[in-house]
Amino acid sequence: MLNFRNITKVFKPEFLSQPFVALDDVSFSIPRGSMVGFLGANGAGKTTSLKILMDFIRPTAGIVEFDPVLGRNRQEINRKIGFLPERPYFYPNLTGRVFLHYMASLSELSDQQFVDGVKRLAPRFKIDHALDRPLKTYSKGMLQRIGFLATVLHDPEFIILDEPLSGLDPIGRKELKDVIIDLHREGKTVFFSTHIVPDVEEICDRVIFLKEGKLIYDGEVKTLLSRDSGDVFLIKVKSENIDLESLEVASVLPLPGGYYSNEVGESAKNEVIQHLLTRNIEVRSIETVKPSLEEIFYQLKGQNV
Amino acid sequence: MFNKIFTVARFTLHELLKSKILFVTLFIGFLIAVATYVATEFTYGTPQKVALDFGFGMLSLSSLGISLFMGASLLPNELDSRTVYMVISRPVPRWCFILGKILGLMGVLAINVFILSAFTISCLLLLGGELNQAIIFTAAFNILESLLLLLVVVFLSLFLNSILSSSTAFLILFLGHAIQETQSITFVQNRAVFEYILKFYHFFLPAFYKLNFKDYLVYNTSIPQLEMLGSVLYGSTYCLGLILLIIFIFNRKNLD
Repeated sequence: MLNFRNITKVFKPEFLSQPFVALDDVSFSIPRGSMVGFLGANGAGKTTSLKILMDFIRPTAGIVEFDPVLGRNRQEINRKIGFLPERPYFYPNLTGRVFLHYMASLSELSDQQFVDGVKRLAPRFKIDHALDRPLKTYSKGMLQRIGFLATVLHDPEFIILDEPLSGLDPIGRKELKDVIIDLHREGKTVFFSTHIVPDVEEICDRVIFLKEGKLIYDGEVKTLLSRDSGDVFLIKVKSENIDLESLEVASVLPLPGGYYSNEVGESAKNEVIQHLLTRNIEVRSIETVKPSLEEIFYQLKGQNV
Repeated sequence: MFNKIFTVARFTLHELLKSKILFVTLFIGFLIAVATYVATEFTYGTPQKVALDFGFGMLSLSSLGISLFMGASLLPNELDSRTVYMVISRPVPRWCFILGKILGLMGVLAINVFILSAFTISCLLLLGGELNQAIIFTAAFNILESLLLLLVVVFLSLFLNSILSSSTAFLILFLGHAIQETQSITFVQNRAVFEYILKFYHFFLPAFYKLNFKDYLVYNTSIPQLEMLGSVLYGSTYCLGLILLIIFIFNRKNLD
């Protein structure tokens, strides 16, 4: 669906200031029909990448290639893309319905298609009750919903969302996540940026990590999750009068009910078990520790995966 | 493509009219009526002239004010609120977007001129004056002058922030009117360096005085047709040139 090839973007905010490299030779691809999370801390270069992808700003080097199925020029491609910017505020004096009509007209929808689209999508986004109110009376969550609705009103094939879940309450996040999942199930390609790692782990099949303008990872979520699993084991033991010092292993944590747990690596696992058994300490369970995507995200620290 | 331009213009006009701008226009209209009434009480023999002077003075100020302040925020507001991203991520070329925005604001200017002209003409007729062609021409040239200022300020806002672009445009407006008097000063006429400066000014910067016919209207003298035609050509050519320049730059601008 999209190839982002060797993109570098250098900003020079002031005439005499030092150039700032926002993106450094970043390459990734978005396969058709995938749900891709775009992760990175604030300032990692996610929004800059999306702006380049949407042709709002030009890269210093590199090119963005779209699947020819989307179209041969920017206008054709934009017909099949739905883009939601980060924290949009829209036109405060327009009502939600007029704003949607504006977006529908620009997307070349007929009046009937607009009416049908709003009728179908507004209840799904739970915004139908507020469509005739001015946008300046909308809450942040409602603005996000109407923006999202406007993004998918023209039934795009490729949906690009910049921080669509930020600033929403837990219920709002859950509802919008469900909508994103539904859109993906309908066959849409979804690419969304976020700095909230569990959201990506929950709903994405692919993930792209950016850190300080550099690509850290581009691939499947499950590959990344399984990469570190199996290396660390959690051994749970029970003993009434356990002498922690006698265990001679580090990081033993007491648990409620007389249990103790100990995280050990692959190499030390057998040795620790043997050590416990020789002291008649009952081993209750041995589990593989599976790190969450968030833990992996914080562990990566700039290394290429 | 023209559909897209008119769609952007229509909704820009819709948004602006939903703001308080029309209330301000109506308030200025009310001020014209009150000021005209008060002024005629203190003048003798020329109440119609006072009505025209006040009316078109206020009309000119409000139109130029709208151009300066709304023009300066036309693009920065779109970028700050990120609405520009919503629009140009649709199949809408950038030039259609910017042209539509300018056209929408031009609609506001036209409505402002229409309402305030109506107030002025009403005051004039109430005071026993007569409607003539010069009134219509003066109002039409006011739209052209405001459009030119709007384009200057939109052009500047592509590089400067709102405050700087509106204050620079105000300076250009001031110079564009002052230059007429300046070139008639003997001290200036006798020095070659000033002649070059004035030529340079006329070559690059807009001579707003060429679009102002209020004096002809107030002093009830007929507008020379050749001068009027020259002003129409000058104003239109300058506007067209600026529009092309704005489109050229906006198409290449990084919208960050």
